[in-house]
Amino acid sequence: MKDLAKKTAPATPVTVERTHDWPVYLPDVDIIERNETFELYADVPGVDPNSITVNFEQGVLTIRAGRPSAAPNTDVIYSEFEPGEYERSFTVSDQIDAAKIAAQYRNGVLVLTLPKVEAAKPRKIEVKVS
Amino acid sequence: MAFTDLIPWRRGSQAPARTSSENLFSALQREMNALFDDFFRSWGSATLPMPRMTFSPSITVHESAKEYRVSAELPGLTEKDIKVELSGNALTISGEKKEEHEEKRGTTVYSERSYGSFYRSIPLPEAVDRNKVKAQFKNGVLTVTLPKTAQAKAAHKQIPVKAE
Repeated sequence: MKDLAKKTAPATPVTVERTHDWPVYLPDVDIIERNETFELYADVPGVDPNSITVNFEQGVLTIRAGRPSAAPNTDVIYSEFEPGEYERSFTVSDQIDAAKIAAQYRNGVLVLTLPKVEAAKPRKIEVKVS
Repeated sequence: MAFTDLIPWRRGSQAPARTSSENLFSALQREMNALFDDFFRSWGSATLPMPRMTFSPSITVHESAKEYRVSAELPGLTEKDIKVELSGNALTISGEKKEEHEEKRGTTVYSERSYGSFYRSIPLPEAVDRNKVKAQFKNGVLTVTLPKTAQAKAAHKQIPVKAE
Protein backbone atom coordinates (compact mmCIF):
# COMPACT_ATOMS: atom_id res chain seq x y z
CA MET A 1 0.00 0.00 0.00
CA LYS A 2 2.90 2.30 -0.66
CA ASP A 3 0.90 4.14 -3.31
CA LEU A 4 -1.03 5.97 -0.64
CA ALA A 5 2.05 7.03 1.24
CA LYS A 6 3.87 8.29 -1.79
CA LYS A 7 4.94 11.86 -1.28
CA THR A 8 3.80 13.76 -4.29
CA ALA A 9 3.78 17.17 -2.76
CA PRO A 10 6.63 19.17 -4.34
CA ALA A 11 5.36 18.47 -7.82
CA THR A 12 1.64 18.78 -7.35
CA PRO A 13 -0.01 16.56 -9.92
CA VAL A 14 -3.17 18.63 -9.95
CA THR A 15 -2.54 21.74 -11.99
CA VAL A 16 -3.28 24.76 -9.88
CA GLU A 17 -2.87 28.34 -10.92
CA ARG A 18 -1.58 30.21 -7.93
CA THR A 19 -2.86 33.72 -7.49
CA HIS A 20 -0.98 34.42 -4.30
CA ASP A 21 2.53 34.07 -3.05
CA TRP A 22 2.15 33.07 0.57
CA PRO A 23 3.95 29.95 1.73
CA VAL A 24 2.50 26.48 1.26
CA TYR A 25 3.17 24.01 4.04
CA LEU A 26 3.20 20.22 3.92
CA PRO A 27 1.18 18.97 6.88
CA ASP A 28 2.68 16.04 8.79
CA VAL A 29 0.62 12.89 8.33
CA ASP A 30 0.19 9.45 9.84
CA ILE A 31 -1.46 6.66 7.87
CA ILE A 32 -2.95 3.69 9.68
CA GLU A 33 -4.20 0.59 7.91
CA ARG A 34 -7.09 -1.29 9.43
CA ASN A 35 -9.01 -4.31 8.21
CA GLU A 36 -11.62 -2.39 6.24
CA THR A 37 -10.20 1.13 6.02
CA PHE A 38 -7.16 3.32 5.84
CA GLU A 39 -7.06 6.30 8.18
CA LEU A 40 -5.07 9.40 7.37
CA TYR A 41 -4.28 11.90 10.15
CA ALA A 42 -2.97 15.28 9.02
CA ASP A 43 -1.79 17.97 11.43
CA VAL A 44 -3.36 21.24 10.30
CA PRO A 45 -3.50 23.33 13.48
CA GLY A 46 -5.19 26.69 13.64
CA VAL A 47 -7.16 26.52 10.42
CA ASP A 48 -10.76 27.54 10.06
CA PRO A 49 -12.67 24.25 9.53
CA ASN A 50 -14.57 25.92 6.69
CA SER A 51 -11.35 26.59 4.80
CA ILE A 52 -10.51 22.88 4.53
CA THR A 53 -11.05 21.24 1.17
CA VAL A 54 -10.56 17.58 0.38
CA ASN A 55 -10.54 16.75 -3.32
CA PHE A 56 -10.34 13.47 -5.09
CA GLU A 57 -9.58 13.59 -8.77
CA GLN A 58 -8.11 11.02 -11.10
CA GLY A 59 -6.71 8.89 -8.33
CA VAL A 60 -5.16 11.83 -6.47
CA LEU A 61 -6.42 12.90 -3.07
CA THR A 62 -5.57 16.52 -2.22
CA ILE A 63 -6.08 18.22 1.11
CA ARG A 64 -5.90 21.98 1.42
CA ALA A 65 -6.44 24.38 4.31
CA GLY A 66 -5.68 28.00 5.03
CA ARG A 67 -3.51 29.13 7.91
CA PRO A 68 -5.01 32.37 9.17
CA SER A 69 -2.98 35.53 9.43
CA ALA A 70 -2.49 37.39 12.65
CA ALA A 71 -4.90 39.97 13.95
CA PRO A 72 -4.29 43.48 12.61
CA ASN A 73 -2.36 46.02 14.68
CA THR A 74 0.01 43.43 16.12
CA ASP A 75 3.72 42.99 15.61
CA VAL A 76 5.30 39.61 15.32
CA ILE A 77 8.15 39.61 17.79
CA TYR A 78 9.05 35.94 17.50
CA SER A 79 7.82 33.44 14.95
CA GLU A 80 8.17 29.75 14.24
CA PHE A 81 5.10 29.48 12.05
CA GLU A 82 3.65 31.92 9.59
CA PRO A 83 0.35 32.41 7.83
CA GLY A 84 0.00 30.49 4.60
CA GLU A 85 -1.65 27.40 3.28
CA TYR A 86 -1.44 23.71 3.95
CA GLU A 87 -1.48 21.45 0.95
CA ARG A 88 -0.60 17.85 0.30
CA SER A 89 -1.53 15.29 -2.32
CA PHE A 90 -1.59 11.53 -2.16
CA THR A 91 -1.82 9.01 -4.93
CA VAL A 92 -4.57 6.62 -3.92
CA SER A 93 -4.65 3.11 -5.30
CA ASP A 94 -7.80 1.51 -6.68
CA GLN A 95 -8.04 -0.44 -3.43
CA ILE A 96 -9.87 2.59 -2.05
CA ASP A 97 -13.57 3.19 -2.51
CA ALA A 98 -13.29 6.87 -3.45
CA ALA A 99 -17.01 7.50 -3.17
CA LYS A 100 -16.94 6.68 0.53
CA ILE A 101 -13.99 8.81 1.68
CA ALA A 102 -15.02 10.70 4.82
CA ALA A 103 -13.33 13.66 6.52
CA GLN A 104 -13.47 15.05 10.03
CA TYR A 105 -11.64 17.92 11.74
CA ARG A 106 -11.00 17.96 15.45
CA ASN A 107 -8.40 19.68 17.63
CA GLY A 108 -6.30 20.76 14.68
CA VAL A 109 -6.18 17.32 13.09
CA LEU A 110 -7.89 16.41 9.83
CA VAL A 111 -8.88 12.74 9.90
CA LEU A 112 -9.72 11.06 6.61
CA THR A 113 -11.29 7.63 6.53
CA LEU A 114 -10.67 5.79 3.27
CA PRO A 115 -12.69 2.58 3.04
CA LYS A 116 -11.23 -0.27 1.04
CA VAL A 117 -13.20 -1.66 -1.88
CA GLU A 118 -14.96 -4.93 -1.20
CA ALA A 119 -12.34 -6.91 -3.16
CA ALA A 120 -9.44 -5.50 -1.12
CA LYS A 121 -10.85 -6.37 2.31
CA PRO A 122 -9.26 -9.29 4.09
CA ARG A 123 -11.39 -12.39 3.95
CA LYS A 124 -11.47 -15.64 5.74
CA ILE A 125 -12.12 -18.54 3.46
CA GLU A 126 -14.10 -21.28 5.02
CA VAL A 127 -12.74 -24.75 4.59
CA LYS A 128 -15.49 -27.14 3.75
CA VAL A 129 -15.23 -30.66 4.88
CA SER A 130 -16.74 -33.02 2.41
CA MET B 1 21.60 9.94 -5.00
CA ALA B 2 18.87 10.89 -2.59
CA PHE B 3 19.82 12.22 0.80
CA THR B 4 18.04 9.35 2.50
CA ASP B 5 20.37 6.89 0.74
CA LEU B 6 23.07 8.05 3.11
CA ILE B 7 21.09 6.87 6.09
CA PRO B 8 21.54 3.10 6.31
CA TRP B 9 18.14 2.25 7.79
CA ARG B 10 16.32 4.34 5.23
CA ARG B 11 18.12 3.03 2.20
CA GLY B 12 15.69 1.65 -0.31
CA SER B 13 12.64 2.25 1.82
CA GLN B 14 9.83 4.06 0.05
CA ALA B 15 8.21 5.53 3.10
CA PRO B 16 10.77 6.75 5.60
CA ALA B 17 8.70 5.74 8.58
CA ARG B 18 10.27 7.63 11.42
CA THR B 19 8.71 5.53 14.12
CA SER B 20 10.35 2.39 12.81
CA SER B 21 13.79 3.88 13.31
CA GLU B 22 12.76 5.32 16.65
CA ASN B 23 11.37 1.98 17.66
CA LEU B 24 14.64 0.41 16.71
CA PHE B 25 16.48 2.80 18.99
CA SER B 26 14.02 2.62 21.82
CA ALA B 27 14.12 -1.17 21.57
CA LEU B 28 17.89 -1.04 21.85
CA GLN B 29 17.62 1.44 24.69
CA ARG B 30 15.15 -0.82 26.45
CA GLU B 31 17.51 -3.74 26.10
CA MET B 32 20.36 -1.69 27.49
CA ASN B 33 18.22 -0.43 30.36
CA ALA B 34 17.11 -3.94 31.18
CA LEU B 35 20.74 -5.01 31.18
CA PHE B 36 21.74 -2.21 33.53
CA ASP B 37 18.68 -2.77 35.69
CA ASP B 38 19.55 -6.42 36.11
CA PHE B 39 23.12 -5.50 36.86
CA PHE B 40 22.37 -2.87 39.47
CA ARG B 41 19.43 -4.61 41.06
CA SER B 42 21.76 -6.95 42.85
CA TRP B 43 22.94 -3.94 44.86
CA GLY B 44 19.41 -2.87 45.56
CA SER B 45 19.52 0.31 43.46
CA ALA B 46 16.38 1.85 42.02
CA THR B 47 15.50 1.09 38.41
CA LEU B 48 16.68 3.62 35.88
CA PRO B 49 13.96 5.77 34.38
CA MET B 50 12.93 5.04 30.80
CA PRO B 51 13.73 7.75 28.31
CA ARG B 52 10.59 9.26 26.84
CA MET B 53 9.75 10.59 23.43
CA THR B 54 9.64 14.34 23.31
CA PHE B 55 8.79 17.04 20.80
CA SER B 56 8.81 20.79 20.67
CA PRO B 57 5.71 22.65 19.47
CA SER B 58 6.16 25.68 17.20
CA ILE B 59 5.39 28.98 18.86
CA THR B 60 4.80 32.52 17.72
CA VAL B 61 4.72 35.67 19.86
CA HIS B 62 2.69 38.69 18.83
CA GLU B 63 2.71 42.07 20.46
CA SER B 64 0.07 44.76 20.32
CA ALA B 65 -0.29 48.00 22.24
CA LYS B 66 -2.37 46.23 24.89
CA GLU B 67 -0.92 42.74 25.19
CA TYR B 68 1.44 39.97 24.23
CA ARG B 69 0.02 36.85 22.66
CA VAL B 70 1.89 33.55 22.65
CA SER B 71 0.51 30.88 20.28
CA ALA B 72 1.68 27.27 20.24
CA GLU B 73 0.73 24.70 17.63
CA LEU B 74 -0.48 21.58 19.41
CA PRO B 75 -2.57 19.57 16.97
CA GLY B 76 -4.23 16.43 18.27
CA LEU B 77 -4.24 17.51 21.89
CA THR B 78 -7.11 18.58 24.10
CA GLU B 79 -7.07 21.36 26.66
CA LYS B 80 -6.76 18.69 29.36
CA ASP B 81 -3.36 17.57 28.04
CA ILE B 82 -1.84 21.04 28.34
CA LYS B 83 -0.35 22.74 31.37
CA VAL B 84 0.31 26.49 31.31
CA GLU B 85 2.32 27.98 34.14
CA LEU B 86 3.82 31.30 35.13
CA SER B 87 6.88 30.93 37.26
CA GLY B 88 9.37 33.64 37.95
CA ASN B 89 9.73 35.55 34.75
CA ALA B 90 8.81 32.73 32.41
CA LEU B 91 5.73 31.29 30.80
CA THR B 92 5.94 27.52 30.60
CA ILE B 93 3.82 25.32 28.36
CA SER B 94 4.09 21.59 28.90
CA GLY B 95 2.12 18.40 28.53
CA GLU B 96 1.97 15.14 26.73
CA LYS B 97 0.54 14.03 23.42
CA LYS B 98 -0.60 10.45 23.33
CA GLU B 99 -1.27 8.51 20.17
CA GLU B 100 -4.95 9.16 19.58
CA HIS B 101 -5.41 6.32 17.14
CA GLU B 102 -5.29 3.07 18.98
CA GLU B 103 -3.02 0.57 17.33
CA LYS B 104 -5.66 -2.06 17.86
CA ARG B 105 -6.21 -4.01 14.67
CA GLY B 106 -4.29 -1.41 12.72
CA THR B 107 -0.83 -1.08 11.25
CA THR B 108 1.04 2.18 10.91
CA VAL B 109 1.85 2.54 7.23
CA TYR B 110 3.34 6.00 7.48
CA SER B 111 4.26 8.18 10.41
CA GLU B 112 5.47 11.76 10.57
CA ARG B 113 3.49 13.31 13.39
CA SER B 114 5.08 13.92 16.77
CA TYR B 115 4.12 12.24 20.00
CA GLY B 116 5.40 12.32 23.52
CA SER B 117 5.90 14.99 26.09
CA PHE B 118 6.72 18.58 25.31
CA TYR B 119 8.03 21.53 27.25
CA ARG B 120 8.63 25.11 26.22
CA SER B 121 9.57 28.01 28.38
CA ILE B 122 9.31 31.59 27.16
CA PRO B 123 10.93 34.46 29.06
CA LEU B 124 8.42 37.19 29.81
CA PRO B 125 8.89 40.90 29.61
CA GLU B 126 8.47 42.47 33.02
CA ALA B 127 5.56 44.59 31.93
CA VAL B 128 3.00 41.77 32.07
CA ASP B 129 -0.03 41.88 34.34
CA ARG B 130 0.35 38.40 35.80
CA ASN B 131 -3.15 38.25 37.26
CA LYS B 132 -4.86 38.79 33.93
CA VAL B 133 -3.08 36.13 31.88
CA LYS B 134 -5.54 33.93 29.97
CA ALA B 135 -5.11 30.72 27.99
CA GLN B 136 -7.40 29.36 25.31
CA PHE B 137 -7.21 26.23 23.18
CA LYS B 138 -8.91 26.12 19.79
CA ASN B 139 -8.42 24.01 16.67
CA GLY B 140 -5.10 22.65 17.86
CA VAL B 141 -3.62 26.03 18.77
CA LEU B 142 -3.01 27.21 22.32
CA THR B 143 -3.16 30.98 22.70
CA VAL B 144 -1.94 32.61 25.89
CA THR B 145 -2.87 36.26 26.24
CA LEU B 146 -0.62 38.32 28.50
CA PRO B 147 -1.98 41.85 29.01
CA LYS B 148 0.54 44.61 29.58
CA THR B 149 0.44 46.47 32.87
CA ALA B 150 -1.20 49.89 32.93
CA GLN B 151 2.23 51.36 33.58
CA ALA B 152 3.68 49.72 30.48
CA LYS B 153 0.75 50.88 28.38
CA ALA B 154 1.22 54.41 29.65
CA ALA B 155 4.90 54.29 28.83
CA HIS B 156 4.06 53.63 25.20
CA LYS B 157 2.90 56.64 23.28
CA GLN B 158 2.52 57.15 19.61
CA ILE B 159 3.54 60.61 18.45
CA PRO B 160 1.47 61.99 15.59
CA VAL B 161 3.50 63.31 12.69
CA LYS B 162 2.22 66.62 11.46
CA ALA B 163 2.71 68.14 8.06
CA GLU B 164 3.64 71.82 7.93
